[in-house]
Amino acid sequence: MYADASSPLVSRPVIPARLPVAAIILWFGALFASATPWLGELNVGALVSVFWTFNPDDYSSVLAHFSWAPRVSIAILIGCGLGLAGAVTQQVLGNPLASPTTLGVEAGGQFGVTVATLFAPGLLAFSPDLVAIGGGLLAIGMVIALTWRLGFSPVTVILAGLVITFFLGAMNMAFLLLKGEWLGNLFIWGAGSLVQNNWGPFMDLWPKVLVIAILMLLLMRPLQVLQLGQSSASSLGAKVGLVRALALFLVVLMTATVVSRVGVVAFVGLAAPVLARLLGARTLASRLLWSTLMGGGLLLLADTLAHWASTWGDGSLVPTGTTTALIGGPVILMALQGFRNTHHMPGQASNPGDFMPNRRSPLLVSGAVTALLAITLIVSMGWAPGLDGWNWTSVTQWDQAWVWRGPRMLAAMLAGVALGLAGTLIQRMTGNPMGSPEMLGISGGAALVMVLLVLSGTEVSRLGQLGAATLGAAGALGLLLLLARKHRFAGNQLLLGGLALYVFMDAGLRLVMASGGTVASQLLNWMYGSTWLVSENEAFGLMGFIVLICALLLLIVRPLTILPLGETSASSLGLPVVRARLLLLMLAAVLTASATVVIGPLSFVGLIAPHLARVLGQQTVGRQLIVAALVGGLLLAVADYLSRIVVFPNQLPAGLLAALVGGVYFLWGLSRHGK
Amino acid sequence: MSAFFEVSSLGVHIGDAAILHNINIEFREGEVTALLGHNGSGKSTLLKVLARQLSPSSGNASLLGSSFRTTGARQFARTVGYLPQHPPGTDGLTVRELVALGRYPWRGPLGRYNSEDHRLIDQAIADTGLNPFQHRSVDTLSGGERQRAWIAMLLAQQTRCLLLDEPISALDVKHQVETLRLVHRLAEERELTVIVVLHDVDLAARFCDRLVALKAGRLIADGTPHDIMDSGVLESIYGVPMGVMERAPGQWVSYVH
Repeated sequence: MYADASSPLVSRPVIPARLPVAAIILWFGALFASATPWLGELNVGALVSVFWTFNPDDYSSVLAHFSWAPRVSIAILIGCGLGLAGAVTQQVLGNPLASPTTLGVEAGGQFGVTVATLFAPGLLAFSPDLVAIGGGLLAIGMVIALTWRLGFSPVTVILAGLVITFFLGAMNMAFLLLKGEWLGNLFIWGAGSLVQNNWGPFMDLWPKVLVIAILMLLLMRPLQVLQLGQSSASSLGAKVGLVRALALFLVVLMTATVVSRVGVVAFVGLAAPVLARLLGARTLASRLLWSTLMGGGLLLLADTLAHWASTWGDGSLVPTGTTTALIGGPVILMALQGFRNTHHMPGQASNPGDFMPNRRSPLLVSGAVTALLAITLIVSMGWAPGLDGWNWTSVTQWDQAWVWRGPRMLAAMLAGVALGLAGTLIQRMTGNPMGSPEMLGISGGAALVMVLLVLSGTEVSRLGQLGAATLGAAGALGLLLLLARKHRFAGNQLLLGGLALYVFMDAGLRLVMASGGTVASQLLNWMYGSTWLVSENEAFGLMGFIVLICALLLLIVRPLTILPLGETSASSLGLPVVRARLLLLMLAAVLTASATVVIGPLSFVGLIAPHLARVLGQQTVGRQLIVAALVGGLLLAVADYLSRIVVFPNQLPAGLLAALVGGVYFLWGLSRHGK
Repeated sequence: MSAFFEVSSLGVHIGDAAILHNINIEFREGEVTALLGHNGSGKSTLLKVLARQLSPSSGNASLLGSSFRTTGARQFARTVGYLPQHPPGTDGLTVRELVALGRYPWRGPLGRYNSEDHRLIDQAIADTGLNPFQHRSVDTLSGGERQRAWIAMLLAQQTRCLLLDEPISALDVKHQVETLRLVHRLAEERELTVIVVLHDVDLAARFCDRLVALKAGRLIADGTPHDIMDSGVLESIYGVPMGVMERAPGQWVSYVH
């Protein structure tokens, strides 16, 4: 009856040998590396026995029992817990890149602890878990609210998680700038340090991790059914919503419990399941098992590296969070190569509804935005608080006021224009309403170079910084191009490459934060977009550059309309797809780089301006570009003005203000309009 | 024959758009029914309501006399199996693992699979002719084989009813016929109630006991293939002038003028 049923019988698939081999190598490598410094002082038997006893006459033995052994134990425990949590997250969201880190849970936990430290320290003493869990739930709740109507597609979920991470990071930073003196310790804690001096934390933690892990395993079969997608899973009688909610709740519990003890240990929860999967763990049960094992081994290895780096360096503390992030980046890159098809993952609805507000006249809308922009500029030049209250600078005195107010305002506005344009390009290119230059990692590349510059301790002029940041952005772009060529410059792959770059930047930042001092505050000022550093020449240079790019943009409006139809349709319409994508990518990158050196990498303008343009009724590419550019300029011009006057005579970084306000708008707007 | 599904004054609205108006229909046990209609006529929506994937905006649907609202999720899943129009990717699951998931409604999150479950899984795989493929990854199968794997999962579910949403739309003629023949044979052997959304009216007439047609969300024809395969009725369903030839008893050929 079935003519094609004659192919040879395929035997039952087995777990490939490389999986256990890799796990064993990882574990023994990590254990050995960790134990090496002690082997000189204790023999192997004595070293093993320090896990449960010690010799009071031998100082090394005491030290090993109370410092080394608990540190190793807690690294393995936390690694296993996070690995399992990561694997469960990936299964729940049907998303090979989901993890507690990428969903913003860790940032949320950190945020909770920061808020508690500042406003309710008593609560922290009562139970650090509680506030961290609250923060984690808040973060994941926001991610889910954001992506609910967009159908949980893998890339969208990750991007929403990143937005939340940025946003909560900006909130943390705002607290820091306003109440810095209280939060010094939070930096080291926030960067994830596993240093131990007794068995207390481990003894406290292991029963919790164990209980949560068992609860997760009890959910295994419903989780497996989720793999068949919403409709099939519910037609099999699984309560999809309930299972998802329960599993995610457990993930938050696990992550927050860990975060509240040792701080953010980023990317173990992502790297472990990705590794397990790449090495051939196929079924859910084997993925859970091997992710747990890989997580333990990975974190031990990362912690050992951090320990070595601290010892060999100048004695400054290198937190484990830094080394895990350094390991996490390459793993994401590996995942990029390994997972071909990120567009249609199992367990997701394939067609997010499109968001189409009524069209409005472009002349009217851009006229209105331009008028607002003009008003902002006039107010910004003229109306400001002085020593004796608010006063109005008359037009005749503007040439004197210009030096103080003009360049920064002009630069902020132009950066906004550039980000608005770049954001529109990227969103159109990737067909994803959450794409933006911040997410593409170009800003991250620029920031990474700045971080390295600061770390190296060399004194660089403003112009030098500018050059370095541009170099970083170009480097990020080059890396992205390399990565993307394999995928023919397809949008979503690019965004994931950007994620990997962000991870590297994050690692560097954590290191600087942990080291503290003036270097950190200098870097923070730049990161959050301090426009007061801009000189007149730079502002005019930027203006010429943006005008030039705008002329180029005229050429690409039509290709940009065609590209989202898909590669096949576009090329059958006669568009050279690869070349068009390359050009668009270059334009977007250059625009981003020029904006990043002014406003820092973390404003949300590139994300919001194109979205606002759509809300204002501009659906075609050309109109969206124009309005997004104007809106971007308006947003940052306003942010710059506010940053000057809000805490007068002090100043806030304009980028931070933009990120805070933008983040709030984004959360509100997308959950409301995002269908 | 008793009524398996009973739908009374059912309406579905999505936003302002009404997808189904005032549908009253019964589906009897052991009958193979095809839902016909042009694109957007509401046939998939009706099927989704029957599968409880969509709750009706107005009216009532009941299964074996008890209202949909009072039936538990797993209890419902033991009686009704639903195959969506586009089954998702399965991410490396083998055929056997996919079919085994069909036992979920019976065993729940924690219950152990016993020998009876394994026998049913084997049976489902054998009934769909998938023995040679049972350890292959579903993603590597051809379209027709993949469709059979999903149907096998529904069989392992041991339901008394199958709801299939355009199960043959992506298949070639040979696989279309094979799939429908399989469904027809299984329905006879296992006394299943089957409701299937189809586009090909000739195949529907050939393999189904009853044809039900929707147009713009309203029921416009309901009867045996003999009643429906008539040029006037087909014209009213599809809105184009059509003719019908009866080539042999039970084998009709419809064509467009």
